[in-house]
Amino acid sequence: MLLPKFEFHEPKTVDEACQMMAEYGASAMVLAGGTDLLVNMKKKLLSPQHLIAISRIEELKKVDSSPFGLKIGACLSVSDTASSDAIGKKWGALSAGAKALGSPQIRNLATIGGNLGTASSAADLPPSLMAYGARVVLKSSARERTLPLEEFFTGSKRTTLADDEMIYEIQIDEPAPYSGAGYESLGVRSCQDIKIVNVASFITLDGPGGIIKSARIVMGCVGPTHLRAHSAEKILVGEKPGEAIFARAGELAMQDATPRGAAFSRASAGYKKDMVGVLTVRTLGTAWKEATGERN
Amino acid sequence: MSQYDVIGTRAPRVDAPAKATGRAIFVDDMSMPGMLYGALLQSPYAHALIRGIDVSAALKLPGVKAVVTHKEAGLVKYGVSPARYDETIFCYDKVRQVGDNIAAVAAVDMATAVEAASLIKVDYEELPAVFTIEEALADGAPLVHDDYKRNISAEVHQEFGDVEAALKECDLIKTTSLKSKRQDCAFIEPQGCIATYDLSGNLTLYSSTQTTHYVQRSLAMALGAPVGKVRVVKPYVGGGFGSKASASHLEMAACLLAMQTGKPVKMIFDREQVFLHGRARHQFVHTMTTGVKKDGTIMALKHEAWLNGGAYSSFGIATVYYAGSLLGGPYKLPNMKYDGYRIATNLPACGAQRGHGGVIARSCWEQQLDMIAEELGMDPLELRLKNIMTAGDVTCNDLDMSSLGMKECIEVVRDASDWKNKKGKLPQGKGIGMACGFFVSGAGFPIYRSETFHCTVTIKVTEDGGTAIVSTASAEIGQGSDTTFAMIAAEGMGIPLGMVRIESGDTDFGVDLGAYSSRQTLMTGQATKQAAENVKMQVLDALSKELHVPVEDMDIKKGYIVFKKDKPDLSALKTRYIKEHREWTDNPSLDDELSFREASRIAFFTKGTIVGTGMYKPPELGGKFKGAAVGTSPAYGCSAQIAEVSVDEQTGRITIEKMTDAHDCGQAINRTSVEAQMHGSMAMGLGEALFEEVKFDDKGRLLNGDLAEYKMPTALDMPPMEALIVESHEPNGPYGAKEVGEGNIMPTIAAVLNAVHDAIGVRIHELPLNPERVYLAIKEYREKNAKQ
Repeated sequence: MLLPKFEFHEPKTVDEACQMMAEYGASAMVLAGGTDLLVNMKKKLLSPQHLIAISRIEELKKVDSSPFGLKIGACLSVSDTASSDAIGKKWGALSAGAKALGSPQIRNLATIGGNLGTASSAADLPPSLMAYGARVVLKSSARERTLPLEEFFTGSKRTTLADDEMIYEIQIDEPAPYSGAGYESLGVRSCQDIKIVNVASFITLDGPGGIIKSARIVMGCVGPTHLRAHSAEKILVGEKPGEAIFARAGELAMQDATPRGAAFSRASAGYKKDMVGVLTVRTLGTAWKEATGERN
Repeated sequence: MSQYDVIGTRAPRVDAPAKATGRAIFVDDMSMPGMLYGALLQSPYAHALIRGIDVSAALKLPGVKAVVTHKEAGLVKYGVSPARYDETIFCYDKVRQVGDNIAAVAAVDMATAVEAASLIKVDYEELPAVFTIEEALADGAPLVHDDYKRNISAEVHQEFGDVEAALKECDLIKTTSLKSKRQDCAFIEPQGCIATYDLSGNLTLYSSTQTTHYVQRSLAMALGAPVGKVRVVKPYVGGGFGSKASASHLEMAACLLAMQTGKPVKMIFDREQVFLHGRARHQFVHTMTTGVKKDGTIMALKHEAWLNGGAYSSFGIATVYYAGSLLGGPYKLPNMKYDGYRIATNLPACGAQRGHGGVIARSCWEQQLDMIAEELGMDPLELRLKNIMTAGDVTCNDLDMSSLGMKECIEVVRDASDWKNKKGKLPQGKGIGMACGFFVSGAGFPIYRSETFHCTVTIKVTEDGGTAIVSTASAEIGQGSDTTFAMIAAEGMGIPLGMVRIESGDTDFGVDLGAYSSRQTLMTGQATKQAAENVKMQVLDALSKELHVPVEDMDIKKGYIVFKKDKPDLSALKTRYIKEHREWTDNPSLDDELSFREASRIAFFTKGTIVGTGMYKPPELGGKFKGAAVGTSPAYGCSAQIAEVSVDEQTGRITIEKMTDAHDCGQAINRTSVEAQMHGSMAMGLGEALFEEVKFDDKGRLLNGDLAEYKMPTALDMPPMEALIVESHEPNGPYGAKEVGEGNIMPTIAAVLNAVHDAIGVRIHELPLNPERVYLAIKEYREKNAKQ
């Protein structure tokens, strides 16, 4: 398979990249790792006239940690995301998602921003990021805006990104004390797999051995975009964590999931729903352990 | 201490340095001056009439050098089995599968060729299509080929003994089934080739193939060229597994375009085309009824098989025969009845893949034997041992087990896995299972009827006597055959491996039927051994005349002449050698023993270039009934495997914890290569057991024609593997050697099926055992048990 013809641009700075985006608009696409984009271009699913390569802009590969949280550049590679101490220490579920993505070769090329921009509901990074309440910073030559990641996705392969906009940065706040998160993904094989279902859960307790103050559960592959399991979250709040309430949350998450029963999808809708339940319970278990365990 | 100096060692592969450093040349690395690139136009429809083909726009595109369709290619029918030649180079009246070939283009570069192919206009009239066995057999179903009534492309009906009578004497009769899914060989290197056509009318094809000989014959036949004007050369090949064992449309089209343009033409399949034209493992549906006595004695097997064959016959006749015949052993089975049907459908054609025809049948039966053992209250391993064949046994369908270390294989894996302390004793969710299997060590007959030798080998010694060049048309496709034959040649001549150079994979080197049916080690090995011994005799004969020592009183070992009786005075001979080579830097000293190098130099003075030849064809093999040719072999390799698994009962996900594997390869030529074949077999078998399945939509279009969605095991899916070599010494094999390439895949799937049952109590009768299938099976099992 051959790539269709396109014009290649490699701006040196973010400003320059934004100017190019402004100039070429809908006929241009941002090329970061290319692990999705180039494949889709070969399959003739996408045929942008201009590719604006941003993966060598240093500013976009940063991991800035402060007492308030993290600022991650859009072009941080997935392998660097997986191996970053700053991320692993406090945002272990994001590390887990990064480690679960693709193969070593793909992780070396793929970027955190690219994984969001592709807006696949099977992607490995959005569940944890959404569970942590991450925000994305979008830039164009005219403006900069910051919005919750949850609002960034508008549907399958669709985002709020305007034609002249690019993902600049991902921001995650420092988790509140007594918080924890977990990420689990289920594929047919152990790695290099596009997932059947993935789930991330995040909970905050009101103190050691206390009740659950807040909860966020994010499910992948069971809707056009990653979904919050709102009814599962609701039932957790105000309860003491434990197996029984987690099991109840799992059942409610199954109801919150809306998988399609396409005849040729990777698994049936019924199986996906059941697995949402299993993974919700498991990720809540991991989150609970972290909330009461080594951290804090 | 081994009686051998070279074989049975772990000598590094002769191709290791080239491959490890990236210097080994594969087709994709090759380029020639003036080379053009070819592209195929393929059908988007599964079944359609061709009303017309208009190539004018493609011809007008700048850079296009030739466009060919059936008009240029002609309508010669070809295929694999002469009884079912049902293909032409290009379709002319209708297309029978998505991807069927309509035309080919040669252009100055790949992009132009692809664009030109897309400019060819084909006027199709879509026809109703059949994709499943049920659809194909339905009343009034459209026919894929008019010749195949009810879409049955081949059927087999065999009975050995009297099955119904035997079943009446049985204490337990069990009927079960197993349904598999279509596989892909999924080798790393897609098929590719470069065709050249010189001014004297010689056609040369460099191709990624397993069988230069069959490709040469098919090209000559379909293109109407004399066989002697067609040469097929195989560079290094990145895996074949059966898919590269017959001539492809790609090779045909490249040759035709080269003949049309007079320029070299390069063509490479993309990954989706590998799936469309791979012709790998069929989908099988087996139903078996086995009868046994209370004590576990197997009395009879009644077996029905249905194969979804796709659009063309390819290897399919052999496949449907193998599916039955390979159950004749390794257990004593006096009565066997088999009814097999291969059904033509409008899916891409299926053919041969590692363990040809026998893998799913074996899986079905080995799971059933476990169920029988359970009902009899026997250890399934003991049930197998009770019925096991040993060397000298002949199956009811006339397969002669001239050597058979089956019993030893079972005992070895039993002990190595600690079976006795694990079977039935592991905690819920963890299980252990075992199975056996065997396979031919080379098809007893060529694909076409012929008295031909199956292989010829030539060994030529260089004039200085320092290097022996082995020339064979056999195919090194990654399995290590070059190393095997270099080692056999070294052993046969009595010289170190470092003095042997091997050239292989070229039809100019002689006849060799190639790398399929696990034939090369035994057959090409025999021819190589013969050629090597022939060289040795010629050298000793010349020496005998010089030294007046009888030939039988001499031998060659480790590169030196051995005098069994008195050592003659060698000074004159050694002085003569050194005088002859006074400018040389590496002359032997007068005090050294007489070397092979000196002796063969002396032989050169009297005989000219020393050339030894060897050839092999199997001796007369048993079986006079129809279809006896499929399954007969000079020898049979066999193996036993034990799988240990854990099952996540909440998700249905299976983890293979360990594989313990024993294979009887007669005599290991290279122990590391034997183990590598065992590892590879297990990887392929586990993929088929757990993940792999080629999927199509309701129009017959591929849904997962790539290695992202066609899920082979990754390194992380592979368990620790213990590969244990059993050596039974095969009388028909070179130094006692026989196959390991395919026999070792036979037990894998069943070992997993049986281990899963041991873990969770559930029997599953459909593959692959992906998480959803296992999860649903557990759910169904629990619901059923709750009701009872």
